[in-house]
Amino acid sequence: MNPSNPPQAAEYGGDEVSAIVLDPGYSTTRAGFAGEDAPKSLIPTYYGKYNADGQEKIVYGDDVFVTPRPGLSVYNPLNKDGIVEDWDMAEKVWEHSFMSRLTGTKAGNPFQNGLNDDGTQEPPEEMEVESDEKPLSDSPLLMTEPGWNPAKAREKTIEIAMEKWDTPAFYLARTGVLASFASGKASALVIDIGASNISVTPIHDGMILKRGVQHSPLGGDYISSQISALFKANSPQPITITPHYLISSKTAVEAGQAPQAKYKTFPADKAPDASYRALLEERTLAEFKECVVQVWPGPTRLSAPGPNGIPNEDMARTYPGRPFEFPDGYNQVFGVDRFRVVESLFDAKAAVPDPESSFPPPTPAQTIPELVKASLAGVDVDLRPHLLANVVVTGGSSLLYGFTERLNHELMQMFPGPRVRVTAAGNTSERRFGSWIGGSILASLGTFHQMWISKKEYEEHGPNIVEKRCK
Amino acid sequence: MSLPSGVTIGDDCITAFSQLRSQRHSNKPRFIIYRITEDYNDVVVEDSSSEQDYEVFRQKLVSAVDAQGKPAPRYAVYDVEYDLGTEGKRTKIVFITWVPGETSVKERMIYASTKEQLRRFLDVKASIHADEVGELEWKTVLKEASGGKA
Repeated sequence: MNPSNPPQAAEYGGDEVSAIVLDPGYSTTRAGFAGEDAPKSLIPTYYGKYNADGQEKIVYGDDVFVTPRPGLSVYNPLNKDGIVEDWDMAEKVWEHSFMSRLTGTKAGNPFQNGLNDDGTQEPPEEMEVESDEKPLSDSPLLMTEPGWNPAKAREKTIEIAMEKWDTPAFYLARTGVLASFASGKASALVIDIGASNISVTPIHDGMILKRGVQHSPLGGDYISSQISALFKANSPQPITITPHYLISSKTAVEAGQAPQAKYKTFPADKAPDASYRALLEERTLAEFKECVVQVWPGPTRLSAPGPNGIPNEDMARTYPGRPFEFPDGYNQVFGVDRFRVVESLFDAKAAVPDPESSFPPPTPAQTIPELVKASLAGVDVDLRPHLLANVVVTGGSSLLYGFTERLNHELMQMFPGPRVRVTAAGNTSERRFGSWIGGSILASLGTFHQMWISKKEYEEHGPNIVEKRCK
Repeated sequence: MSLPSGVTIGDDCITAFSQLRSQRHSNKPRFIIYRITEDYNDVVVEDSSSEQDYEVFRQKLVSAVDAQGKPAPRYAVYDVEYDLGTEGKRTKIVFITWVPGETSVKERMIYASTKEQLRRFLDVKASIHADEVGELEWKTVLKEASGGKA
């Protein structure tokens, strides 16, 4: 059998077998059944580790947020590029994403699960236990990956799916292609604003143009770091985020007044690690991004003089501010600052300086307009106008208020000749789960069954088959 | 190979297309409109006509509806005839993907992931994607067909 060609017959079960779609991101991992409109399981990709009774314990999913256990520290199996670094833990986190909500957990050993303890009978000496049952033996699995996922990582992914999870059929699809298709386009320039990365992926005739794939770390986490920098320099007073778990009660205070809250304290040996606090602070920052932050609409940059000679920044000052209340009750109205924290996505010089930030100051090459420019420079000159006329915006952080409008202005200024058209799903869940939804539709098609890589083919050709079939 | 949907391309798709491509008489088909069946299993011919007026074709394409009467996506091939003056008359077939703005994400996905299979099957090089009527002007189609010469 030639591994480059899918087998002719649809031999992987009928429509009644529901495939699982797994879309692992840096901040969240999305999993659900193919054919559904949204992922049933949405868990943080972060996991927590702590010691109890001298044993190391690990917590997954939303449980990570719930209890501030002593010494609890938080990790992410992916690196900042969104590529897996810790395979053992990535496997566990992904497994949790579908086992906790979709496939159910494995049945325990009947010797120990307590269900057979009627107390009258002696337990049998020996019993056959099917302990090697694997989680996905009945479900085909479609997974997604970023366009810059290295070949080694792709092979490792199919290896886990086939050998650890025992999936009967597998497919690995690129997020950029799925997002492009989900907007109805076989050719598009996909701009994906995620948590750890922003990326620009040119797709032509359903194929990813590898030389044009660009990405940089100015994603949602970077925006959080900009907001933190803003808070440090805030007036009338610097703002410290105190996450909810450290507050036992709060009293309403006037805007700008010092908070009046009762705090919970943890003795040093009972306190969770700083990484836990950082993860919970991020939740407040996420709320701030959703409620307050706004992208300066353009057409010119925030630092530029406006159309009537009034600097844009002075214009922004005249806009009504937006109030925000922190977990400790401190509240304030945010004016022009709410534009400043995202301006550096388009204009590197506008970054809010913070020498203590874990993000180095952005370079011009990392901004969205420059990524687009670099991406187009990597593709055939004849394709550029087509791509610019079909710009698709996706990813949770693209929901920032005013983002697409500004992007449109920036691209029109950078490319005054060709027609620029930016499309973005109006529906929030389509924007956040664009690639999951694309995968869900594809994997639910009866006709797609012939595209799966079957277990048999994997056994015959090894993990390298993913390179031949999932291009 | 791109990421494909696996939707089957019916035999009548190619039969209709070879009439459009190889026949020379004035009654030969000028355009074909294709659609994907409701069960998402096959691409089939919806319409084929020798109508010479581009506007008639455009109207037919953009007024395509699904079983519920809502605007629906379609594929089409159009045999564009253009005049290069001293270099004479030329013809070129253009592949058109029509995905109106109201299309559900499911249909978008299916039409986009099947497009390359059909286009390659028919072996048409020039192609246009449109999601609004304004993108289907004659001049756009002419420009794509003639490579900007006419």
